[in-house]
Amino acid sequence: MTILGEIALWIALPAALWGAVLSFAGGRTGRSDFVLSGERTAYVLTLLLTLTSLGIIAAFLGNRYEYWYVANYSNRELGTYFKIAGLWAGQRGSLVFWTLLLSVFTSIAVFQNRRRNREFMPFVTGTLLALLSFLLLVLLFAGVNPFELVGFTPANGRGLNPQLQNYWMTIHPPTLYLGFTAFAVPFAFAVAALLTNRLDSRWIAVTRRWILLSWFFLTNGIIFGMRWAYEELGWGGYWFWDPVENASLLPWLTATAFLHSIQIQENRGMLKVWNMVLVVITFLLTIFATFLTRSGLIESVHSFAENLKIAYIFLGFMGGLIAVCAVLILHRLPSLRSENHIQSFLSRESAFLFNNLLLVGITFAVMWGTLFPLITEGFFGQKINVGPPFYNRVNVPVGLILLLLMGIGPVIAWRRASRRNLRKNFTLPAAAGLSMLVALAVSGIRHATVLATFSIAVFVMTIVVREFWKGTKTRARIAGEGNLSALRSLVRRNRHRWGGYIVHVGVVVIFTGFAGSAFDTNAVRELVPGQSATIRSAFGHEYRLVYESLSHSRPRTDDAVRENDWRWTALLTVYRGDERVKIMRPERRFYPVMDEASTEVGIRSTLLEDLYVIPRDVDLESGTERVTFEFKVLPLVPWIWCGGMIVAVGTLIGLWPVGGPRARAPASRVASGLPLSGTAGQAA
Amino acid sequence: MKNGRFFVGLVGVAVVVAYLMATGIRDSMVYYLTPVELLERVEADPTFRNLGVKVSGRVVEGSWERGRGNRSAHAFRVADLEHDDVTLSVRYEDVLPDTFNDQAEVVLEGSLGLDGTFRAHTVLTKCGSRYEAAKEELAT
Repeated sequence: MTILGEIALWIALPAALWGAVLSFAGGRTGRSDFVLSGERTAYVLTLLLTLTSLGIIAAFLGNRYEYWYVANYSNRELGTYFKIAGLWAGQRGSLVFWTLLLSVFTSIAVFQNRRRNREFMPFVTGTLLALLSFLLLVLLFAGVNPFELVGFTPANGRGLNPQLQNYWMTIHPPTLYLGFTAFAVPFAFAVAALLTNRLDSRWIAVTRRWILLSWFFLTNGIIFGMRWAYEELGWGGYWFWDPVENASLLPWLTATAFLHSIQIQENRGMLKVWNMVLVVITFLLTIFATFLTRSGLIESVHSFAENLKIAYIFLGFMGGLIAVCAVLILHRLPSLRSENHIQSFLSRESAFLFNNLLLVGITFAVMWGTLFPLITEGFFGQKINVGPPFYNRVNVPVGLILLLLMGIGPVIAWRRASRRNLRKNFTLPAAAGLSMLVALAVSGIRHATVLATFSIAVFVMTIVVREFWKGTKTRARIAGEGNLSALRSLVRRNRHRWGGYIVHVGVVVIFTGFAGSAFDTNAVRELVPGQSATIRSAFGHEYRLVYESLSHSRPRTDDAVRENDWRWTALLTVYRGDERVKIMRPERRFYPVMDEASTEVGIRSTLLEDLYVIPRDVDLESGTERVTFEFKVLPLVPWIWCGGMIVAVGTLIGLWPVGGPRARAPASRVASGLPLSGTAGQAA
Repeated sequence: MKNGRFFVGLVGVAVVVAYLMATGIRDSMVYYLTPVELLERVEADPTFRNLGVKVSGRVVEGSWERGRGNRSAHAFRVADLEHDDVTLSVRYEDVLPDTFNDQAEVVLEGSLGLDGTFRAHTVLTKCGSRYEAAKEELAT
């Protein structure tokens, strides 16, 4: 099986090259047999790369430690589940996995458009196959072949980092990769639009679902990563502004900007060059996120100088892409001219434009912070780091303005908002937001970020709820439906708009969750069995935790006792007031072979807060079973996960296939996310 | 007026973001040095001691000791990654990260004391090559 996979990888390269050449040639000459042949190559590649991936998984499952990659990321003790996940545990496998996903998406795009958009397709297929060829070249010739042999057969592998042996960690990277690779399709359509000089908003309309799909995976991937950090790293946080985290955030930021700016192009025919630039930048950032940060170019606690060569290859590749895209865009500049321009600051275009500028501003700041050590080393010969305060300084205020724009953008009128439009749409929400501000201030909260976040959150929520309310009422009256079915058909008639509103609700909930961190409380206590500690929550109540006992175990796996895994489990009874609410079993695990420890935290989640227990240190020498615990009460953290789910639901609503005859309506109607709605459109 | 407003917005946002970035950098920038570089700097300019710095290096095998009676007082030596013979002795009084051991690659944050001992207030471990995607361990 593994040999088959390796052969498939070797066949894939000439196939991809051949397909790319044929596609471009077919597009140029108009020979449909060439084009068809190129498209079939995409299917063949998917098959070949599936074989390659299965080959790697088979090597993991069969404990084939003669392969360098398997020997470095697995061992006999590793569970089957994590062996399969070994495909994306390291750089080499990740590269294969990325290539596989890209080929799958290429095939889907080809199949989806086998009868539509034929004028674009040769160039779309060609672009995607060219990308695949490049990746395959790297895999085979840049010293990262996943099938490289060690030269002898080690008895056992080196194993997988215990911290990666976590459920969230197995789904976090693939989800991100899905988001990264899905964005290649809109990118390919953009290139095709440039090459064919069809630069109206059609390429956007046909790739809109792909953009949303990519955004869906990126968002979830980032949230899964936060969840993993929160549960597994054991410091009670979910975001650390580490370069690798930042790298996954960058394409998300520009993709979010792009999702908004394309609505201006579709509705007002503006920002065409900007959109082209955004799609190229986002795609480049997905490559940056996948490869550069893992390769040791940037000093991260995640990375180490494993393969700088790969970093340079990808840097060169990105440079080449930038050059090609810049030439194309400059060449087509006359066709990319704006059909309109902004008439007033008080307009939807202007709100969206600000949203874009701010998102790109944040992208730039995060990128700058991430690359700061490299920049300073280049210019001054001295690495200088910036820490979380830098990111918070920039991102908190800008994030709050973005939050505010999330309320304003959807309801302010296009072109020029009249006084009446402003009054009608914003009086009530502004009043609601201000009431929240006053209420919080009266209750003694002085924390500026918290005051701003909650007031703006109420402002945005009022707007969104009122939009839903008005839409449903109108629909119920016109169609004579009940409220619930009116709501359902309302959403169904314009999934992008209402799905987008739900996403906004989710983002508001996430932001309030972030703001909750201002009220974190914590306590560090050394306890012996029988002793207890108390910790107060920001909501006023108190938890009492009784450390009952410490137990020792060595878990059994399928084959044998794992010599390399000792666990000390503390048993804690948690009281809230006088009521016993939970038994917790946080754990310290030791891995003697690697001389390392890991922590399993105890978490008690309620609607409003998490109680988070970290066994920091177990005293094994004195025989007292003394444990150093850190207790934290983290308000509103559950809201982050909850908001993430709301965002996912909203995105899915926007993504859901539009069934029936409407699906074949003119692209401009189906695709416009925020059409001139009844409340806001005519006010000019 | 055609692109004027766009331009004003652009410049406005750029100025605000640049200002926030500049102040952010000023308040949170930290030199990232190797032990060799740190010692050179301090020799050239003794006031450099007072500056908080990040130092990367590898824990010297067998050098890690815990304080008597205080399990979270640690002393160990950290060697320069490229020059094994240059080492710093480090004191740290808190709980070490899980992945800390006496061969770990670490990043310390703190400052060099007058006695030549580096007092760390943060110890991060970098993960070895077998753990490519391993994340940071934090102990502050």
